[in-house]
Amino acid sequence: MKLLATLALAFFAQGALALDGAQILQKVDRNLEPESYESYRQLVDIQPDGSRKEYVLWTIKKGRDKVIALFLAPPSDKGRATLRLGDNMWLYMPEVGRPIRITSLQSVTGSVFNNADILRIDYSAEYDVKGAEELEGALLLDLKARTGEVAYDRLKMWVDKSLLLPVTIEAYTASGMLVKTLRFSNVKDFGGGIKRPATLTTDSPLHKGYKSVMQWSGMKRANFPDEAFTLNALPRVQELRK
Amino acid sequence: MNAGWCCLALAAALAAPAARAEEPAFDASRFEKKAFEIGGYAELKQEHLTLNRSGALYKLSTLGASGRDGLDRSTGTLQLGGKLRHGSGTFDFRTNSSWAHDALSTQADHRLYEGALSFRSSERTTLEAGKRALRWGKGYAFNPIAFVERAKDPNDPNLAREGFWLLDGDFISNPGGRVRTVAFTPVLVPVTGAINGDFGARGHLNPAAKLYLLVHDVDIDLAWLGQGSRAGRFGADFATNLAQNFEVHGEWARVGATPKPLVDASGRFTPSSQQSTDWLLGLRYLTEGDTTWIGEYFHNGSGFDAAQLRDFDTFAGTAFERFLQGGGSTALELAQALAQGAYGRPNPGRDYLYVRAQQKDAFGIVYFQPALTLMANLHDRSFQLTPELLYTGINNLELRARAYLLRGGSGTDFGEKQARRKLEVYARYYF
Repeated sequence: MKLLATLALAFFAQGALALDGAQILQKVDRNLEPESYESYRQLVDIQPDGSRKEYVLWTIKKGRDKVIALFLAPPSDKGRATLRLGDNMWLYMPEVGRPIRITSLQSVTGSVFNNADILRIDYSAEYDVKGAEELEGALLLDLKARTGEVAYDRLKMWVDKSLLLPVTIEAYTASGMLVKTLRFSNVKDFGGGIKRPATLTTDSPLHKGYKSVMQWSGMKRANFPDEAFTLNALPRVQELRK
Repeated sequence: MNAGWCCLALAAALAAPAARAEEPAFDASRFEKKAFEIGGYAELKQEHLTLNRSGALYKLSTLGASGRDGLDRSTGTLQLGGKLRHGSGTFDFRTNSSWAHDALSTQADHRLYEGALSFRSSERTTLEAGKRALRWGKGYAFNPIAFVERAKDPNDPNLAREGFWLLDGDFISNPGGRVRTVAFTPVLVPVTGAINGDFGARGHLNPAAKLYLLVHDVDIDLAWLGQGSRAGRFGADFATNLAQNFEVHGEWARVGATPKPLVDASGRFTPSSQQSTDWLLGLRYLTEGDTTWIGEYFHNGSGFDAAQLRDFDTFAGTAFERFLQGGGSTALELAQALAQGAYGRPNPGRDYLYVRAQQKDAFGIVYFQPALTLMANLHDRSFQLTPELLYTGINNLELRARAYLLRGGSGTDFGEKQARRKLEVYARYYF
């Protein structure tokens, strides 16, 4: 069965079969990151005058819809942690001392990246593939949010045909307005069979002149207990780091 | 479409090296977990108070004797927090030191806000002993089920507060199905001559507990505090998202018989006690334009109605005038003692409306957040309006300017506070 699936996907990569967008999207998800993993990320916000603000996060994910991001830097945000369980998101701030519910459209950093970008779960968990089109060297997926809880109503995803990794994603509102463009680059071998873009650049017509860059480091497969992904454990999540 | 894709691919290809050229490769090794870490912030705050010379709480404070119309105050604060790790044990602490100076006094205050030793045998079980600020409840400005914590300042709900010395545990389970999480938190808050003296009467262990459930997509807490230093009480809260940008929450608490001193306009004092029911309903709504609205209706069952507050203010005014005219200080001392208790709480009334609107990235400036907050006593229609400006665009620096504008007639909640207006600016640097 595995062999068949592999052969089928290889065939897609050659662009010789009718496209099964859902399968491609699932493959993109797994190529981007293992279903359960830990990684470090740096978020850099670059303002029109060139000034920068940097964040470092430690992220863990389990299954299709459990994610935690813990802020390690800067000092003003250190210790903050966000938890996502499906459509539910919470933010824990050490000075506040309890998690509060947040929404996917807010931004815990205040930057161009919002919570949905920072606590991203599998695309295939949030979106249905409404269309798949084969282009020269690429595949274009038209994705529609499964529910109104999802941050972006529609995505256009350009996928590298040979690597089955996203290259560019445009995010649209329900009214069809382009709100953000995500550009993946710098494909890197993280080891353990994980080869994916190490850099994501984001800009938004809503924030002209601003740019945000996300870089990954130390991504590896990891498995954490379900109890780690709970409100009560959130204040102690940094103790999970080795 | 092919041409469009080629253009995009070209743009991405051009942008990618540019991003790489701008951003040095990120190396996470310098963020490894350390056995000891420390951080915190230093803050400088300047305040100007326009005093309310006709206000009852002005007359009953030290300001009353000063006869001042205004007061400038400078405050420096240093807050330190850290962790020490060894095996499955962690000791964490948070201290707060402040120095405040105004024309009437200079005060220094140093406190251990939190300092607790915790042992984590697994993600399912944690035991803690020490000083800890437990925060229970889902409300933003008010928390009826905050049974084991010091009162929150609704003017600054996110401010760190001093905890109590306690023993507590956390037992977490993920049973699966509709009940996705179950977490039980038992607590003991001993009150002796040496610790937790401001929690209530001495000589009690004060058991308390909270049961948290995540049922489908709804947070539910059941909370309880046994009869002891404080009256026994129990309650519940909930929070859930009705839509991606719309959260609702609520709290309800039933509090056993609690002393509630009452005084009438002539100064006749009636010691009484009362059982009460407190509750809160709130929402948080994010608009397409990135404005966050927070609204809460708070019923404070043990609070005073408009007539009771007016009686106290009348009595306080009379006692103050009598004292000034050499008529003795007995009545004034009684009024001052009452102002130290229930009458002098930040929100002594019975029903409040809290509304806050906060705009993210206002005027296209990332990290700039103006906000406007209204807190109104619904019985006497007095209110406080708080416009504020917040900018966090400079690394590790938080700049905030805030004005508190109080409105209300004689004998009303906000009309009888110490100040009519307060302007404050502060700079907070995190390290």
